[in-house]
Amino acid sequence: MEHALEMRGIVKIYTETGLRANDGVDLTLNKGQILCLAGENGAGKTTLMKVLYGLEKPDAGTISVMGKPVSITSPLQANRLGIGMVHQHFMLVDDFTVAQNVTLGKEPLKGRFSYDLKGADEAVDAVIRRHRFSIDATKRVGSLTVGQKQQVEIVKMLYRDVDILILDEPTAVLTEQEIESLFITLRALAEHGTSLILITHKLHEITAISDRVAIMRQGAMVGDFPTDSVDGKQISRLMMGQSVSLVVDRLPYTPVQHPVLRFDNVSVLKRNQQRPLLDGVSFAARSGEILGFAGVGGNGLGVLEAVLGGFLPISSGAIVHKDEDISRLDSHALRKRGLAYVPADRLQVGSALKATVSENLIVDARNEFTRHGVMQRKKIEAHTQSLLKTYSVKGSPSMPIGTLSGGNIQKVILAREITQYQDYIVFSEPTWGLDIASSRFVYERMVQLRDEGAAVLLISSNLDEILAVSDRVIVMYRGTIVAVLEAEELRQVTKEDMGAYMLGLRQQEAPHG
Amino acid sequence: MVDRMEKRRVTIVATLRNSIGAVVIVGIALAALVVLSLLLSATPLKTLRYFFLGPLQNTYYFGNMLNMAIPLIFGGLGVSLAMRSGSFNLGGEGQLYSGAFVATISALALARWGSAGVVVALFLGACTGGLLAGLSGVLRMKWNTSELITSFLVSNAVVLVVSYLIAGPFMDPATNLIATRMIPESFRFTRILEPSNLSSALFAAVIAVLVVHLYLYKTKSGYELRLFGLNPRFAAYGGIRTKWYQVWPMFLSGAFYGLAGGMAIFGTYYACMKEFSTGMGWNGLAVALIARHRPAAVIPAALFFAYIESGARNAMLHSDVTFEIASIVQSVVFFLVTSAVLQKIGSVQRRSI
Repeated sequence: MEHALEMRGIVKIYTETGLRANDGVDLTLNKGQILCLAGENGAGKTTLMKVLYGLEKPDAGTISVMGKPVSITSPLQANRLGIGMVHQHFMLVDDFTVAQNVTLGKEPLKGRFSYDLKGADEAVDAVIRRHRFSIDATKRVGSLTVGQKQQVEIVKMLYRDVDILILDEPTAVLTEQEIESLFITLRALAEHGTSLILITHKLHEITAISDRVAIMRQGAMVGDFPTDSVDGKQISRLMMGQSVSLVVDRLPYTPVQHPVLRFDNVSVLKRNQQRPLLDGVSFAARSGEILGFAGVGGNGLGVLEAVLGGFLPISSGAIVHKDEDISRLDSHALRKRGLAYVPADRLQVGSALKATVSENLIVDARNEFTRHGVMQRKKIEAHTQSLLKTYSVKGSPSMPIGTLSGGNIQKVILAREITQYQDYIVFSEPTWGLDIASSRFVYERMVQLRDEGAAVLLISSNLDEILAVSDRVIVMYRGTIVAVLEAEELRQVTKEDMGAYMLGLRQQEAPHG
Repeated sequence: MVDRMEKRRVTIVATLRNSIGAVVIVGIALAALVVLSLLLSATPLKTLRYFFLGPLQNTYYFGNMLNMAIPLIFGGLGVSLAMRSGSFNLGGEGQLYSGAFVATISALALARWGSAGVVVALFLGACTGGLLAGLSGVLRMKWNTSELITSFLVSNAVVLVVSYLIAGPFMDPATNLIATRMIPESFRFTRILEPSNLSSALFAAVIAVLVVHLYLYKTKSGYELRLFGLNPRFAAYGGIRTKWYQVWPMFLSGAFYGLAGGMAIFGTYYACMKEFSTGMGWNGLAVALIARHRPAAVIPAALFFAYIESGARNAMLHSDVTFEIASIVQSVVFFLVTSAVLQKIGSVQRRSI
C-alpha cells in the first residue's frame, strides 16, 4: 500500500540552544489512517509536525507525499500539497464570521477583485453540512465556544481539501462531550480517506481513536505499533522511559475550621446581560484542603478565576480574606495581600513570552529584589537559578521564556506562584497540555501545599484531575453552585453522577460550600 | 569562568546578528543615494562627494552635524520610552516646539537666576512636553482612546498656538525675525567646537542615553514599564499598576521631546523662532525606529540620520541638487528604516519547541 506520507531521517537542531529537537526521526502514514503521535513535553512531536507543515526547516531528512519527494518551505505550500494543521492555540480572527475565517487566504471572488461574501457563506456551509459540524457559517467567531472554534479550524482545513490533517493536542481545551463529538468527526474523516495525525499524550484517547501509535522521546522515535497490539502501560513506559503510578501520596484530610477565603453570595452581572455570570455563589476555602471547582466550559469557572485574580469586579456580595473584605481590590492590591495564582492561560496571562525567564519569575515578588528602586541583578539571578533547579526547568535565566516548551513555561509559573503564596493559592487548569510526568509534578506540589496548611483552590474542567486530588468539590452550572461534595460523598461519587451535576440534570438542595 | 565567557560570546554573536538589519538598511539607503544622484544630478560625482564627505570635510560641518544629532537623540529616547511601554507618541513636533517655547520664556523670566535658571527653565520646558503627551496617556487610561491619534492631534493644535504666541505677544519687536527675544548670555551652553554650532548639550544628550538605559534595564519602574509593553495582561496579572504605565511613559516621552526643544534653544538658536523645529519631532521618531527602541542604539541612529541630513544640505549648497531632491533622498531613507522586513534580517528568531 502506498504511503500518504513518508518522513525519513528528519533532524532539527535549534541553533540558539543547541537542542536536537528531532534526531533522525522516521514516520510513515497510510491513507485513511489515524495516527497518534505520543510523547512527553519537549519530546519533539510538535517540532516534527512543524517541519511537516513548513513552519520549521529541517537540518536533514526527506519528506515524500503520496510517493513524491517534496520540500516544504511554508504552510501555504503544505496546504497545496494537501497537508493541513490545526494548532493547539487557535489562529482565528474573533471579529470575522466563521465563513470569513475559513476562507481567509483562499477567498471566493466575484469578478477579479471583490470578495464574494455570499459565495463564501455557501461554500463553507457546504463543508459544514457535508461533515455534520454544528456551527453556523454566518456567526461571529468571537461568540463561539472553544469546542466550536476548534471545529472552525478543522473546517478551515477541509475547505482547503487537505488529505493529511495534523491536530496538535486537539482535546486539551475540550469538554468530555466535545471530545466525543470530535472523535466521531475524525473517524468520519478517516473513512472518507483523510489521513490524520493527532499529537496527544492522553493514553485513553490514544486507545479510543487511533489505528496506530508512534511514540517519541527526547527527539527520537522510540516505538511505532498498531494501537490494538499495545496496552497503555507499554505506551506509558516508552513515553516516560519507565512506568509511573498516577496515585498521589498524601496525609489524611483533617479539615481546619477557620476559613481562609470566603465568598458570601457573590454575583457578577455584566451590563446588558440578562443572566448573571456568577449567581449568588457562597463557599469557604479552608486551610489545609484542596477545594476543587468542576464544571463544563462557559458555566462560571472562567468567571470565578477572573474574580479571584482581581480582573473582574463583582456586582454584589462579599469576598472575605482573613476577616477583611477584599471585594473591591484589584490585582495590584490582591497581590500585595499575597495572592498566588496559576492562570489557565499561561501564554497570554501567565507570562510575557518575549521577556526573559528571570523577568517572568520575579513579577509578583519584584519588590523583594529591589533596593532604592534598583533591581538587584545578582540576587535575581541566584533566585532564578535555584528555582530552575528545584523545579527542574530546562532553560536558563536569560532566555526569553517563549523559547521554552509549554511544560517548562508552566513549571516556571508554578515555581513563581508557589514561592509567592502565603495562605491561599489558586490553580486554574494547571495541567492543560502537560504530559504525565509534569502533571504528576503539579499534583504533588498541590498536595504538598495543602499538607503545609495552604488553602488550595483548584479550578479545572478535567474531571479525573478534580476527583484525584480534591478534598472537597464544588460543581458549577450556569454560574451557580449545584453541588458540594464532601470527603465521604467524594469517595463514592461516580463520573456519571458528576456529569449529571455538571450538565444541570441534577442539583443538590441548597448546596453550600 | 568558561561558562561566563561562553555566555558573553553568545551575547556578542546575538548582538551582531541583531544589527545585520540596521547595516542592511544603511547600505540600501546609501546605495539609493548614489542611484538618485546619478539620475537627478548633472554632476553626480561632485554631488556624491559633497553628500558623503561634505559633513566630514571640516570642523564647521562636522560640528554642525553632531549638533544636529542632539535633538534627534533626545527625541529618539522619548519615542523609545513610549514604544517600550507599548504606547505610540506621534506628537513629537508639538511637544518639542512647546518645550522649546516654554524653556525660552522661562529663561527670559528667570534671567537673573543664572545657571540655576537654566535647570529650572529646561525642567519647565520638559514638563510642558510631558504634560501634552501625558494628556494622551490619561485619555487612553480613562476612555481607551488611541494615544497615537490624540497625541498627533494635540500636537498639531499646539504648534499653531505656539506659533501665534511667538508671532504675537512674545515677539521681539527689535528684529525682523518672527522670534522671541534672545535668552541671556548666562543661559547659553558653551560652544565646544568653534566655529561650528556644536555645544556642550552634546554631553547632556549622551548622559540622557545612559540614564534612559539604566532606567529601563536596571530599575524596578523600568522593568514594570517594559513588562507592561511586552504583555499588558501579564503585567496586570503580576500586580503591576497598569493604569500608571499608560500615562507615565507617555509623560516621559513628551518630557524628552520638551527637553530636546529646550536644548536646541539653549545650545544653538538662543531664541525661539517661529517653526524653527519643523521636522525634528518626526526625525526623532525615525531615529527611534532605526534604533529599534533600544536607548543605546539611539546615538548611532541619530548620527546616521544627521549625517544624511547634513550631507543633503551640503550637496544642496555646493552642487546642483535642489531642496526637493534632497528631501526625496531623505524620504527614501525614512521608508527604508521603517521597513519591518528589513529590520528583521538576521535577528534571532524566537521559537518554541
